[in-house]
Amino acid sequence: MEPRRDPSVAAELASLIGAIERWAADLSLAEEPSRFAAALEGAAPPESTS
Amino acid sequence: MIDGSIESLAADIRVRRVSSVEAVEACLERIGRRDPALRAFITVDAEGARRTAKERDAELAAGRIRGPLHGVPLAYKDLCHIRGLPTSCGTRTAEYFVAERDCTAVARLTAAGAVTLGKLNMAELALGAFGDNAHHGHVQNPWRPGHCSGGSSSGSGAAVAARLIPGALGSDTGGSIRLPAACCGIVGLKPTYGRVSRAGAMALSWSNDHIGPMTRTVRDAALLLGLMAGHDAADATSSRRRVPDYLAGIDDGVAGLRIGVPENHYFDGVDAEVAAAVRAAAARLGEDGARIVELRVPDPQPLNDVTGLISRVESSAIHARIVRERPHELQPLVRRRLETGFLVSAHDYLQALRLRARWARDFIARVLAEVDVLVAPTIPEPAPALADVTDVPAEQVLRRMGSFSRLTRPFNGLGVPALSVPCGLSSSGLPLAMQVVGRPFDEATVLRAGRAWERASGLVGPPPGS
Repeated sequence: MEPRRDPSVAAELASLIGAIERWAADLSLAEEPSRFAAALEGAAPPESTS
Repeated sequence: MIDGSIESLAADIRVRRVSSVEAVEACLERIGRRDPALRAFITVDAEGARRTAKERDAELAAGRIRGPLHGVPLAYKDLCHIRGLPTSCGTRTAEYFVAERDCTAVARLTAAGAVTLGKLNMAELALGAFGDNAHHGHVQNPWRPGHCSGGSSSGSGAAVAARLIPGALGSDTGGSIRLPAACCGIVGLKPTYGRVSRAGAMALSWSNDHIGPMTRTVRDAALLLGLMAGHDAADATSSRRRVPDYLAGIDDGVAGLRIGVPENHYFDGVDAEVAAAVRAAAARLGEDGARIVELRVPDPQPLNDVTGLISRVESSAIHARIVRERPHELQPLVRRRLETGFLVSAHDYLQALRLRARWARDFIARVLAEVDVLVAPTIPEPAPALADVTDVPAEQVLRRMGSFSRLTRPFNGLGVPALSVPCGLSSSGLPLAMQVVGRPFDEATVLRAGRAWERASGLVGPPPGS
């Protein structure tokens, strides 16, 4: 579909995407989205056996 | 009989001090009297609730108890699919969302004996922090009509606070359980990502959506969480971790617990009464034996930006059809937020997801290794007047929405559990709230800290006129 090109939206997005590009510049090659769920599971308290 | 907790009502029903039918009738009477002004409900299923309550009473008379919620009336945000009831998701379309099966969270509560009273008002497509809805009416704050109930689970917050129902479910993508809980003076829990199945509930953002309880007491939130949580084959993101008994140990207090209070960011620009109330609550928990640790935390704004971008892209994909085919049906601000997602490239979306993974690990290692829970304000100011967020230019509303949810959204991005508990009233009589944030899947500790505060401070409410 053809998205609406609201200038204020485009400017807001451009700034945000610029920041993401900067933050992402030093991501390791091994970083992947699924490591999010792994981080949560990995930091969970031990499961009790009772 | 419906002014107390879910636990006490369930106990009364179990010993047949009151019947499920009486509880349902009491709720329906309140809804009939108060909801025309509050606008908390979209659908009231009076006939279905009466029928189910009769069945529950008959079962009890025959010695059968379905579970801990036997005969207790509850209501659900109108994005939970329940067979036989429409699911508007706050849109103009009554049957906007149809799923293959009932919402798992609702089905689990029903299996535990709950009676469905109806479906609750919400921001259109769960896109809104204030509880306004042009299609179904702006949900009013029970503490002060004309003020926001908070959103997007606005009807859930208002209905529980106003004593129309003893408990409800909400969903939380950037604060949508905790914001209305805070604005309305009730308890709201966003569990860990993956703790509660989202199957059968409308998605706004697969990466950030959470389903959770909204109740008057912390113990009730623990009760509902324990019944809803656990793996669900219908939601691949749901965790296979065992579900603990969240009520066991909940009253053990905070002695020895390390409670973190952020030195930076989370109190910046926050209303003075809100900040003072949360700091006083932390101090009180310190007097009760917790070790209060002031610590520096990462700036949440980059995380908020990344989480917001992920939500916008995913919500645009999910709701592309209504934007493409019936854009005129959407409120202008909702349409604009959805349209923004179409402008983001796949590359930037994936970078955002990768950043979130790294920042979650960093936060857990840097902050949650130092403390057992973190406390912070839930909302930066008491509930604003509805006119201040509806009768102003779109740019202004978007900015204020971003500001209003800036203390809750980081924990959607991080996926960690976050509980909002009432923290007294402002000098103008509006609820204040504190957020208790914990380690992944450690809702038990979060609830224990919240319960300790609740016991120390006493319950808030009821609002005037309830």
